[in-house]
Amino acid sequence: MSLTIATLLQGLFVLLIAPFLTGLVRFCKARFQGRNGASPFLPYFTIATLFRKEMVISNATSWIFRAVPFVVLSSSVILALLLPLVFKGASLASMSDFLVISGTLIVGSIFLVLGGIDPGSAFGGMGSSREMTVASLIEPIIIMVFATLAVVTGSFTVDGMLGQNLILAHPYLIFSIIALCMIALAENARYPVDNPATHLELTMVHEAMILEYSGPYLAMLEYASSIKLTAFALLVANVIFPSSLIAVGGGMTFLAIIFAVLFGMIKVVIFGIVLALIESTIVKMRFYRMQEFFSLAFLSALSGMVLTLFARYGNMSVQYHAFFAALAILFVVLLFGRARLRAILRYYALSSLSIGGIAVALSFVRPDEKVHLWVFAIVTILIKVFVVPFIVIYLQRKQKKIVSLASFLKPASSYFLVVIILAAAFFAVQRISSLEIIGYSSLLYASVALISLGLAMMVVHRNVFSQIVGILVIENGISVFVLVTVESLPLLIEMGVFLITLSSAFIFSKLSNRIRDFYGSTDTEKLRNLIE
Amino acid sequence: MIFIILAVLLCASLAVLLIANEKNIRMVSLAMAVVGGGLVFALALPVLFGFTSSWSSQLVLVDRFSSLMASLVAFVYVAATIVSVRYIGHEYKEGILNRDDARLYFSLLHLFALSMLVTVLTNNTLLMWIALEGTTLSSTFLVGLYRKKTSVEAAWKYIIICTTGISLGLIGILLLGYGSRLAGLSGADLFLLTSLQNNAPLIQDGIAKLAFVFLFVGFGAKVGLAPMHTWLPDAHSKAPSPISALFSGILLNVALYAIMRFAFVVNGSLQSDWTSHFFLFFGVASIVLSALMMLVQTNYKRMLAYSSIEHMGLITFALGLSPLGAIASVIHMIGHTFTKSMLFFGAGEILLNWKTTTVEKVRGVFAEDRYTAILFIVGMLAIVAMPPSALFVSEYTMFVAALSKYPVLALIILVSLSVIAYAMLRLIVPMLFFNGKSDETKKHKWNSTHSVMCLQLIILFSFAAWVTTASGLNFIQGIVVDAVYILK
Repeated sequence: MSLTIATLLQGLFVLLIAPFLTGLVRFCKARFQGRNGASPFLPYFTIATLFRKEMVISNATSWIFRAVPFVVLSSSVILALLLPLVFKGASLASMSDFLVISGTLIVGSIFLVLGGIDPGSAFGGMGSSREMTVASLIEPIIIMVFATLAVVTGSFTVDGMLGQNLILAHPYLIFSIIALCMIALAENARYPVDNPATHLELTMVHEAMILEYSGPYLAMLEYASSIKLTAFALLVANVIFPSSLIAVGGGMTFLAIIFAVLFGMIKVVIFGIVLALIESTIVKMRFYRMQEFFSLAFLSALSGMVLTLFARYGNMSVQYHAFFAALAILFVVLLFGRARLRAILRYYALSSLSIGGIAVALSFVRPDEKVHLWVFAIVTILIKVFVVPFIVIYLQRKQKKIVSLASFLKPASSYFLVVIILAAAFFAVQRISSLEIIGYSSLLYASVALISLGLAMMVVHRNVFSQIVGILVIENGISVFVLVTVESLPLLIEMGVFLITLSSAFIFSKLSNRIRDFYGSTDTEKLRNLIE
Repeated sequence: MIFIILAVLLCASLAVLLIANEKNIRMVSLAMAVVGGGLVFALALPVLFGFTSSWSSQLVLVDRFSSLMASLVAFVYVAATIVSVRYIGHEYKEGILNRDDARLYFSLLHLFALSMLVTVLTNNTLLMWIALEGTTLSSTFLVGLYRKKTSVEAAWKYIIICTTGISLGLIGILLLGYGSRLAGLSGADLFLLTSLQNNAPLIQDGIAKLAFVFLFVGFGAKVGLAPMHTWLPDAHSKAPSPISALFSGILLNVALYAIMRFAFVVNGSLQSDWTSHFFLFFGVASIVLSALMMLVQTNYKRMLAYSSIEHMGLITFALGLSPLGAIASVIHMIGHTFTKSMLFFGAGEILLNWKTTTVEKVRGVFAEDRYTAILFIVGMLAIVAMPPSALFVSEYTMFVAALSKYPVLALIILVSLSVIAYAMLRLIVPMLFFNGKSDETKKHKWNSTHSVMCLQLIILFSFAAWVTTASGLNFIQGIVVDAVYILK
């Protein structure tokens, strides 16, 4: 099979499946929201119907208005042909330079914007101005993400980048991939940047620009956006699982094509469900908060790049367990600035999840203790991610008022405190290491940092719940310490320790409930009756 | 044998939850406690008095020191259950506690005793940690039994400080395990007290020292040593009196037992008495602090609680004066257990009749309830170490050791003890003997609590007499050899 046929097959596959993805996301969203939902195949009929309809075009428009659908559609089709979506190393592989890709994307956006401005309607102009704002924020991030991948792989084409198992070899690329996912949401006008479901909201972006289009032109624009979404879906999936790409080599068989199509369909379906899940759980952001979303994406991409450069030119090898240790600390730091109990417990659960990740990562470094470490990871995740936060929330269910934990430090100064603590912990660990006793210095640091952060949490936030969370964080620090020092405890003892964690969480919440009943608040400043 | 004991206590804890009648709850608890306590005595006393030799396995360690602790736990547990039967029954009749409270109380009481027994009888350091944490968790709601603001506050302080402290102690245990792993041990041996003691010299000094700092500060919070003591007066004064007796009489000793076991290992590792600095410093701090606080007390249960801090300080200080001090500390431990739990039983009796813990509001106890008053004042004199008391023997021995080694510290402690004795008697004597507005018609009869208190005093004085003879001294020496490294 020649390379050209592979390219054509890929294009055909993407063009055919694109409306299905749009329909699938709508269908799943409807199901998550408790509605029956239209069939996922509805967009095919919508597009077909639109093609048969009459067009109404304003007299105030110029030729640009009529050119826009063609340019936008062809930019999407070009993406579908250039990117390695189903096959790797097809005939246009050398064209898939990341600058070309981002250029193609921006051409599509610019023409869409022109199409929005051209009729001179208020809505279109508003949408266009917003689209330009978003596009100018997206552009640097997308270049930075792909530049990072280029540094790691030494290839400028997207096709070459996907040649290797990127993520497993380089944990810090997770930052870049997070950025890529966020960009994929923004570029395809999904939540939280844009609401794809409505024309009525004043905050919409994409739908405002195509408001003046009707009939076949509207069909082309909608089709183009479906194709772009599909292309991004497959791209993100391929970056995460590069081995699911079928390489177009010499002995390309019919079976390989079947597999390629099958993989493609699976990826599209999974992406659709995940996207629907995300869109059902988060809300759309106010337009003026958009810079927060993009600065987060930018920060993520930047840290991915910085770590990559360090790892590459600074001979600093980043291992998985160190990466997860950093995450565990990061989540506890974020927890510090929060005031709502639910948010705090969420960050605690994420931090515990990272500790489970540390155990899993260590199981690859120390294969002889694989079983122990896996059991540790599973039980940690089960108990500390799900059961403990659930108990704390569940026992507070009768209290209608949302728990808000006032701190006598403002978020900014408590973050400052965190920085000081982290630095102090660093020097403390340096002192311990001078005794030359412990390997896994990153994990040791993580455990010391977690324990001191937990203690600080108990002091800074004068509240019953923050003291509970403080103790839970200390326990997390100790369980990292277990991994560093004695590697694994006897199984029965380990279960005993988990049982202790569980029952202490229960007793703590029960007691805090009682404090709330008697004192009417959870402020520990009020616990001052017993001073003699 | 041990597993039967644990099964009996566990059954007691569960059975109580199933019984509907309040009187049956108390009676079943009493029966189970007597059976459980008897079994513990059957296990521990032969080892304690040297009829059978010490033995240990992967889980269990029964030497003379741990069997001493186990017998003390069993004694105070049975005594507290007998007193509880009267105390809780009285509170139930008054309508202060309902049936669910009584059920919770007895269920947790057995669980509490169970975890203390496991702490002192286990050979596995991690199991010891779990059990020690278990004592905190099982007793939290015993402290917070009364549905009052202050009880909840006391329970909260208790659980927060002790849990944090014991969590830090776990770091010390893990470090010791790590140190012995570096020394070539592996598997379950890393966490066996016996193997740690045998291989102590192999553990690196740096690790051993670091581990001991964590262990001492962490478990020290549970002992109630001076800077970490803040939970202790609150919990002791707000808990029901039998629970206060368990806390003060034995729980603090159990936590101290854990520290001593690890001090044994660390001393063995360092081949010096480096750890005694900790014992001396925290001991003196606790004594001085409680002397100062004692002067401003207006609440007799809090006063007894500060007295517990003082006595823990004395035991800790004496441990810093090994080897002679160690003998004093073991005698003091035994004497304090009997005396202080007896005083708390008496305080509970006063609380039941006068319904207040404020000294000012209690007057004329002697006129109204002469047995309690007499037993209480005798116990009071015993706790300030008047000569026939065992505490006099131990404090005398301690001062002999201290005056030669650290004369300045010894003088500071002597002054503090005098202040404490003065402060305690100044509070108690008016309470017992001043005339109040009591009506002579409501005279109180001899009851089960008085029998328990009387028995404790008899044991205390006969122990004091026996310990001054040669065989008594041998007995103490045997325990000390198992408890403190230096004498070996």
